[in-house]
Amino acid sequence: MYADYAYLIVALPVLAFVLCIFAGWHLPKGGGFLTVLATFAGFILSYGILTEIYPDKIVHQSMPWFANFNVGILIDPLALVMLLMVTFVCTLIHTYALGYMDGDPGGARYFAEAGLFTAAMLGLVYADNLLQLFIFWELVGVCSYLLIGFWYRKPSAAAAAKKAFLTTRVGDVLFLAAIILLYNNLASLNIALKPGEYLLQFPVIYAHIVQIPPTQLTLIALGLLGGAVGKSGQFPLHVWLPDAMEGPTTVSAMIHAATMVTAGVYLVARMFPLFYAAPHGLTAVAAVGAFTALFAATMGLTAFDIKRVLAFSTVSQLGFMMAGLGAGAAVGTVAVGVSIFHLIGHSFFKALLFLCAGSVIHAVNTNDMREMGGIGKYMKWTMYTMLIGSLSLAGFPFFTGFFSKDEIIVIAYEYGTLINFLPYIFLVLAAVLTAIYSFRMWFSVFTGTARSDYSKHESPWVMLGPLVVLAVFAFGFGLVAQGSFYEYLDTNFEHYSVDFNQLAAIGGHPLAEVATAGEEKATVVGEKEEAEKSTEEWVTAEKGAIEVEKEPAEPWYIQILPIIIALGGILLAGLFYWDRIKKFDPDQVTGDKDPIRRILLKRYYQHEILTGWFAETIVYGIALISNMIDIKIVDGWLNWLSAWVLGFAGHVRKVQTGVIQNYIAALVLGIVVLVVVITLAKEVGLV
Amino acid sequence: MIPLELNILLASTMFTIGLYGLVTQRNGVKLMMCIELLLNSANINLVAFSAYQPNVNGQVFALFSIALAAAEAAVGFAILIALYRLYGTIDLDNINAMRW
Repeated sequence: MYADYAYLIVALPVLAFVLCIFAGWHLPKGGGFLTVLATFAGFILSYGILTEIYPDKIVHQSMPWFANFNVGILIDPLALVMLLMVTFVCTLIHTYALGYMDGDPGGARYFAEAGLFTAAMLGLVYADNLLQLFIFWELVGVCSYLLIGFWYRKPSAAAAAKKAFLTTRVGDVLFLAAIILLYNNLASLNIALKPGEYLLQFPVIYAHIVQIPPTQLTLIALGLLGGAVGKSGQFPLHVWLPDAMEGPTTVSAMIHAATMVTAGVYLVARMFPLFYAAPHGLTAVAAVGAFTALFAATMGLTAFDIKRVLAFSTVSQLGFMMAGLGAGAAVGTVAVGVSIFHLIGHSFFKALLFLCAGSVIHAVNTNDMREMGGIGKYMKWTMYTMLIGSLSLAGFPFFTGFFSKDEIIVIAYEYGTLINFLPYIFLVLAAVLTAIYSFRMWFSVFTGTARSDYSKHESPWVMLGPLVVLAVFAFGFGLVAQGSFYEYLDTNFEHYSVDFNQLAAIGGHPLAEVATAGEEKATVVGEKEEAEKSTEEWVTAEKGAIEVEKEPAEPWYIQILPIIIALGGILLAGLFYWDRIKKFDPDQVTGDKDPIRRILLKRYYQHEILTGWFAETIVYGIALISNMIDIKIVDGWLNWLSAWVLGFAGHVRKVQTGVIQNYIAALVLGIVVLVVVITLAKEVGLV
Repeated sequence: MIPLELNILLASTMFTIGLYGLVTQRNGVKLMMCIELLLNSANINLVAFSAYQPNVNGQVFALFSIALAAAEAAVGFAILIALYRLYGTIDLDNINAMRW
């Protein structure tokens, strides 16, 4: 029954958008409660659908759109958990925004755009075909542009919005190319589609991956990864994320936790069978993710802007999720569950951290952590909820972040034993840094003494309420949901006709070798038996092989390493930044001349390299050359042609003198000539 | 009765004079007069043929034609007066604002 109204999950926030943008000025608080209610209704509907289809059904509705395309809704376990998370977190963020944006003259515009942003993300999540997903994907990009540049009179905000839009666009072009390539490949297969099936629908794609040539698969996978890298802020397209802090803090919370950056990870998870089948597809994902995780974490260490610390932390955590998905090359579909679990947990504690930062900024009116300090005395609720968020981010035992990150590191270890240890090492180092920077932030904001004169007051309850709710989830979600979550998401691809052993054989994964080895064993055993029996044996042998492969569990030091990492990192941060146990002064350990410190403060000279050198030299040079070609050649011949026509016409038009007498003379002459000709013709006898 | 040929000769003479005037003259009023000559040469033809082939249709046409000529002359002279007010001349060679 709820599933019949699934379209309302997107339609209601869109309605809120329309109402807010046209009538928001006449409503109290810019009509923000409309957006809150619409999003909350989406949560209720999603929950209703959960109760209906859990644990083994999916919702699939579709109707024809045009040509070979359709619009449709596909709610499988993967989409469902995302729907629940997005609606839940967005409801809380919008509620918080009621307090945070109170009194802003653009309030109605904010809530309208926020509603559209939420709707776009929800539409992206439960789209049943790639084209529809791409449309909502672009809509998410547009909304992020509008919201990052919300204070558009501020030049830095306008620049940040443009940067975000253009950077993600680089990825979007690759994504679109991948879609076209995939469509061409599927179209050339001449698939006999049943009524109601369309080429770009996910079930159809899943079912026909095995027929696409592997080299094409790799190209498609890399294109899709390009899109995900742009949206999820992975290296080298991560540059827009820290700048996106220019928007209101609630926008940052939305972008970082629920609505935007998770789209990239979701895309890779959604197309996981394709990545799995593509040779080197998941390797690329793992490499990008692991590198980004460490790279961004190091930059998070030195940022002074509280929101920038969180932004780098988001980039880093997204790197964890990507690396987790990449580790699927070794562990199979479990990776999707692990990675999405981290995504959900991350969205809880990252939304919490951003909203806490917003609460602090609301009181202190600065983003700079050097001007804070000792705020904990005045903002008890904010302090403790942010403590929970930081503990969760750092991976303190029994917090959500601990379970999810631990699991990613474990499967990265398995990836290491089978393929390559580099991602594992990168992730472990990044986890240490995560613990350090999150507590560097917490200690330097809330403990110690005030380093500047700020207004000392706690935020109103409309802001603190969402903090408390999120804190509960940031603490307890992992503990409660862990087991059933993995099981539920593991069933995701069982709803489609997709055979992962076949895919693994195409992708050349170690699992495939194990499976084929099992097959050989099975055929040896089943020689005497019938063919059916042998396939049965094959299945059991294969299961046994997988179990055998999983059985040599990680050594005990790998198991407890994450705990040591978290505690050690927090302790280390405390030694530097907590006044009670402070042993070292950061400025004395590393002086201003320290090359590492300088590189980190300059953020690896990214701005100098990417903007100063790459953009202004190479891209601008190419643009100049293109411009010249455009003016001289493309426009050139056209201009020459039109100039020639104009000149010719200038001569010809002299014929039209405008003097009536000339016309009459010509007329009379013409008649005379006609008469003479006709008379002569008559004489000769032609007529 | 005057032979038909003489009537036609008169008409064609008037037509030729009118045409010659149209081609050579530049003065607006003279042009109007030449146009009248052309019209009336046609009228003479109409009346002459109607007389030789006992049928009044031709004479009715001639009457219509005269009425039309009057209207045409009224419009034409109105235009000439307007031109005169604008340019201070009715020499058509000087009126070339819309020429290339």
